[in-house]
Amino acid sequence: MSWAESLWLRLKPLFRRERVARELDSEIQFHVEQQIAENLTLGMSSSEARCAAIRSLGNLTSVKEQTRETWGWTRVEEIFQDVRYALRQLRKTPGFTATALLTLALGIGANAAIFTLVDALMLRKLPVTNPKTLIRLGDNSDCCVNGGAPDNGNFALFSTEVYERMKKSAPEFEQLAAMQAGFAYRPIVARRDGTAETARSMMGEFVSGNYFKTFGLRPAAGRLFVDSDDVKGAPMVAVMSYDAWKRDYASDATVVGSTFWINMKPVTIAGIAPQGFFGDRLSTAPPDFYFPIETHEAISNAPYVHNHDIRWLYFIGRVKPGTAILPLQDKVSALMKGWLKETKIFDNQTDKSLPEKTHVMLTAGGAGIQDLREQYESNLQLLMGASGLVLLIACANIANLLLVRGMRRKMEMSLRTALGAARARVIRQLLTESVVLAGLGGLAGLFVAYVGAQLLLKLTFAGAHTIPIDARPSFAVLGFAFALSLLTGILFGVAPAWIASQANPAEALRSGSRGATAGASLLQKGLVVLQAAMSLVLLVGAGLFAQSLTRLQGKDLRLDSKNRYIAHINPQGAGYSTKQVEALYRTIEQRFHEVPGVKNVGISIYTPMEENNWSNSVQVQGQAYAGKDGSVVKANAEYFASVGTQVVMGRGIGVQDVLSAPAVAVVNETFVKDLFPNGENPIGRRFGAPGPESPGDFEIVGVVEDTVYTSVRWKDHRMYFLPITQRAPSEKVPIEQDPSMYAGALVLETEAPINNMEELTRKTLSEINSNLAVVKFQTFEQQIADRFHDDRMIAQLTTLFGGLALLLAAIGLYGVTAYTVARRTSEIGIRMALGARRAGVIGMVLRGAMSQTVIGLAIGIPAALLCVRFVRSQLYEIEGINVAVMATAVLSLTLASLLAGMIPARGAASTEPAQTLRAE
Amino acid sequence: MLEPQHGWAIAKRIQQVSREVLQVQQGSLYPALHRLEQKRWIKAKWAETETGREAKFYELTAAGREQLEKETANWTRLSEAINLVLETQ
Repeated sequence: MSWAESLWLRLKPLFRRERVARELDSEIQFHVEQQIAENLTLGMSSSEARCAAIRSLGNLTSVKEQTRETWGWTRVEEIFQDVRYALRQLRKTPGFTATALLTLALGIGANAAIFTLVDALMLRKLPVTNPKTLIRLGDNSDCCVNGGAPDNGNFALFSTEVYERMKKSAPEFEQLAAMQAGFAYRPIVARRDGTAETARSMMGEFVSGNYFKTFGLRPAAGRLFVDSDDVKGAPMVAVMSYDAWKRDYASDATVVGSTFWINMKPVTIAGIAPQGFFGDRLSTAPPDFYFPIETHEAISNAPYVHNHDIRWLYFIGRVKPGTAILPLQDKVSALMKGWLKETKIFDNQTDKSLPEKTHVMLTAGGAGIQDLREQYESNLQLLMGASGLVLLIACANIANLLLVRGMRRKMEMSLRTALGAARARVIRQLLTESVVLAGLGGLAGLFVAYVGAQLLLKLTFAGAHTIPIDARPSFAVLGFAFALSLLTGILFGVAPAWIASQANPAEALRSGSRGATAGASLLQKGLVVLQAAMSLVLLVGAGLFAQSLTRLQGKDLRLDSKNRYIAHINPQGAGYSTKQVEALYRTIEQRFHEVPGVKNVGISIYTPMEENNWSNSVQVQGQAYAGKDGSVVKANAEYFASVGTQVVMGRGIGVQDVLSAPAVAVVNETFVKDLFPNGENPIGRRFGAPGPESPGDFEIVGVVEDTVYTSVRWKDHRMYFLPITQRAPSEKVPIEQDPSMYAGALVLETEAPINNMEELTRKTLSEINSNLAVVKFQTFEQQIADRFHDDRMIAQLTTLFGGLALLLAAIGLYGVTAYTVARRTSEIGIRMALGARRAGVIGMVLRGAMSQTVIGLAIGIPAALLCVRFVRSQLYEIEGINVAVMATAVLSLTLASLLAGMIPARGAASTEPAQTLRAE
Repeated sequence: MLEPQHGWAIAKRIQQVSREVLQVQQGSLYPALHRLEQKRWIKAKWAETETGREAKFYELTAAGREQLEKETANWTRLSEAINLVLETQ
């Protein structure tokens, strides 16, 4: 007999229970009949023969029972029996079952969904070899191309020279890789050679030659980088991401080895990165291409690759086994300090304590560069807190429901005990019911978690073309949720089971439902009070975030987004040199004005309300450098009109402000307020970068209103605007290398909405030059709405959780009130027989229900006031809870409680006194 | 009794072979048979009797034969020992 057969022999009685039982029956039956036949041949009468045959076997049932026991499944069968009985019990009380399942599903599902997001964004490691041994140099996401030193001396962003030196002087690193910090802000234009495809805007990241080796990756096709690829003068090569290969080139094997025009430079594709590798960080726009650092200058016209003062790289390395991290961290910090001293970068700093403060933190690099994590951390913590509260409320609900149920079944349990059921058996039965309920709730919760996680991801990354996260909850999350559900069931199943089993059967049976027994226990009422308090806290939170969103969105941005379209472009990627752009901009203006309905054609390096900011230190001529900086936008003459920024003094940028004309600037009101504090007239004054000559660079010709750029939260934002093709006369960087000559965006203002504006824009641009790809096209309104996306998400989710909490609290209150009413039916009947009126009965029940809500409010209001301090930093212009938010929350809770109390109260009032009394 | 037999026949056979000395308590036969089956010393299958009725037939397995020999040897040794003790008295 094979092991499988023998296993089946063991298991058959368990799974084929009925069939095996039938077989046993017929086996015994056969025996009896054989015996009867024999008895008949011995001359017995037929009835005698039958009796004798059965007698010889003994008690048939007992024989069968004994035989079954040899199968060894009695215990398991009992459990099955319990489960079947539990399911039957649950089916018999659909209201209770549905409520409990819904509560568990929502409570557990919401938490598992949030935790999926937390897991993906904050806990998951990169899909690389042995991510645990990766070490990152630096603990923040300073970005993207910075000069000088960070204010706090905490370095995370480094120059190419530091990379080379670190690699040489820190042999503790088995591998040390460098990667471009701000690739997300510099898309590239790509077109495969020898094909008719149009140029595409894609993402490209510049990385060191040992990048893939450091992560321990193997190519999906071709080869990955080797050190010799990242050497000046080496043939230009690239590695394509697996996703781009599959998405844009249908996994065509001939892509490897073929030539691509990247920003109009010929680059050979060396290989394809492995499937699943999305780069060194989570991102909604992961790199489609990887290029060696040394090609950055040629491909992106980046002048800073070998500028020792410009920091643009992140480092991730793998240390040799057995290396102690702390001494290495000290060594790296010392190397950094030594290098800064040598290169005299400290000398230019105003902060003299900088050499002292300079340090590098070594952190775990397994999750890569965690800028997305930094962006979402506080929001996720908030959501985890909110969903945790919802779970607590859900648990309280389950506890309450099970308690109510347990008490209701006291009679039944007493009867069972009286009939001889063991106490342990009774407890086991009740516990089985709780566990079955929790298991079913857990399953429903998994479903909610799955759907919820999908929804959350869609909400979080709305509009992103790639969602970098797998929305399927991981096994860990699912296991956690399921275990939580079971734990809730067991924990809150034990108490009622214990209470029920403690009942003295005689006493319980004697009193029955008679008598004015007390209503719900203190424990039950306490749970309801707690629920009310917690849901108030959540409701207040939801109100605050909703209000914060309203304030953010209601803020006057001092710009006009109506009938405006923004097209992001990349002239550098299309192959234009900085000397050609002036002519290009004139052509763009002219061609777009030829499109019917176009009113203004703004051209600038970036636009209001997008995630981009160029900032410089500024010094007014004739003043000492005050350590102030300002954001700079370079733009054409129609730009102010196209975004709706008003000129309040002097003039805006004019068509005459070309490269060969005198350098001028327009500043905003805050700039004037901060740098000309004594009410001086700024027109005609000069400013520029701090230094001996540079403050005389730009003459102020006009002042504009403070338009909001980057973020509504950025207040008192000093800004200045320069003509897009002009440069500071004192500028040392040659014009060929000046990235500020390149426009990043077109702002098109039309007379009326144009439905096919995107198509028109692409067509017009490609008619100028087929390589002028559109990086991104949006209406101005969409661009603005995107900036409120996170705030909107938080407001929506906290409102969702607040509503959920309210619903659960109301269900809890309803459950307890309904239970109390049921217990007091006879008492109410007597009261009504003695002349109590319907209104009086309703009032009595409602008073009982509302008293718990009122106590809940009394606890919840101070708790909410206390909790608001934890979220204040995430709110916009809201210092504390205001009356409107608090009143709305209190009112919602009161109304929900009234409703939850009213249903059982009306039921109580419709009691027929005669009938209840007769029923006794 | 080496060919397959059904429960009733087994009971009868024991009775006959022992010259009616051993009256098998018929009620305890089936639990015993099922226990042996679970231990895989015997195996069972449904088949027709001479009279054309379906019955469950039991048959010794290889493991069962081995076990039988072991038990028989044990029994022989034990009964011999008891005989010796009784004879010396």
